[in-house]
Amino acid sequence: MKKKELVSLGLIALALGFLLAFTYRTANRVERTVPYDRAHELTLELKALAKERADLEAQARDLRAKLAKAKQGYSEAQLALEAEVKEAAALAGAVPLEGPGVRVVVDNPPGTAGGTIFAVRDEDLLKIVNELRAAGAEAISINGQRLVSTSEIRTAGSFINVNLQRITPPYEILAIGDSAALKAALEVKGGIVETLRDWGVRIQVEARQQVKVPALSKPLRFDYARAVETGGKS
Amino acid sequence: MRLAQEIARTVPIQRINTLMAEVQAARKERDQLQSEVNRLQQELDAVTNQEGLKELKTELNSYRIEAGLVAVTGPGVEVTLNDSTLIPKPGQNPNLYVLHDEDILRVLNELKAAGAEVLAINGERLVATSEVRCAGPTILVNKTKRLAAPFVITAIGNPDTMINALNMRGGVVDTLRQFWGIQVSIKKLPEVTIPAYKGSRRFEYAHPVRE
Repeated sequence: MKKKELVSLGLIALALGFLLAFTYRTANRVERTVPYDRAHELTLELKALAKERADLEAQARDLRAKLAKAKQGYSEAQLALEAEVKEAAALAGAVPLEGPGVRVVVDNPPGTAGGTIFAVRDEDLLKIVNELRAAGAEAISINGQRLVSTSEIRTAGSFINVNLQRITPPYEILAIGDSAALKAALEVKGGIVETLRDWGVRIQVEARQQVKVPALSKPLRFDYARAVETGGKS
Repeated sequence: MRLAQEIARTVPIQRINTLMAEVQAARKERDQLQSEVNRLQQELDAVTNQEGLKELKTELNSYRIEAGLVAVTGPGVEVTLNDSTLIPKPGQNPNLYVLHDEDILRVLNELKAAGAEVLAINGERLVATSEVRCAGPTILVNKTKRLAAPFVITAIGNPDTMINALNMRGGVVDTLRQFWGIQVSIKKLPEVTIPAYKGSRRFEYAHPVRE
């Protein structure tokens, strides 16, 4: 082989090598571009944030109105405070609420009196409740027990306790919120309803124009927690 | 170089950049509104601080604690959960050995059953509407709050009762540790402060029942 040929062959090999390395790197980068999912995720986050903002704006407006009233005198201050108490009571589960939502009825597989491993368990109810919350449920009860921030759903012996009260099947869960969204969250393909049905559990989800969720049946009591005073600071 | 730049200019990436900027701006605005609401609430508290309104204030106080509208403090526990140290055998589903939302839900449930009065995870106050969901390797709580491991649950209540409940033989922690290899550590705290719920708690669909 002539020297000239060798040089050009070397050059070609070098060029090919660069090209390969380059293509490989590019391909790698392209694969690392963002999947559709991320855009989707961010969009959902934006929506949730927009709702939070709108809610906070409404709350600020409301507080300003109360404040203006409260400054007028003692009885106005009392009225403003009473309005605050009423709202906080609703959020705390201390008053019965109504609104659109869903009614979910869950029962053990037929012929099993709580005997098989596929009888409805506390964790099944926990999951249903968690899905409803994720879908924006505003108030939930199970067999007449209002669920608050500290409500347990827990097997104790052969029963399930909620708010330390024994509940028995069929379990009726009522949730207030966007009924279509609540229903869809439970019935999504591969979701909780499908899984439970695969196990033989009987479950029905029904959208309702009006459901009534009862108040918490025991008084709120705090033996350990106390509010942090924010009075002086801002 | 040129190609890398071109990729950065592709529509999917631009889309993400725009969305990310929007999310950031929305978060900032949300936080500003939040502090405005807090300020107004404090002002209202100050104005209504009058003799004769004490009883109403006490009532309001306990509703606010339950509803997550104020920060609270008290004795309690801290439970830290982290992914499994077990290495799944070939053919086993590795997903079974990572921390799931249901594990966190069960620990929370156990604490509630043991009388926890106020709960939070990674500093996010848990209220009656709070969910805990897996989103890839992170979890989402309170709709918009994304948390990464380790997950630290704080609970105010009787520390001994809560610790005993968690450590019960064959209980939640036992199962997580022995069966799935999840790392769990429990700490007793003489005093812990849990922040208020971040964001507004307003009902869009629910109304008090009219008598």
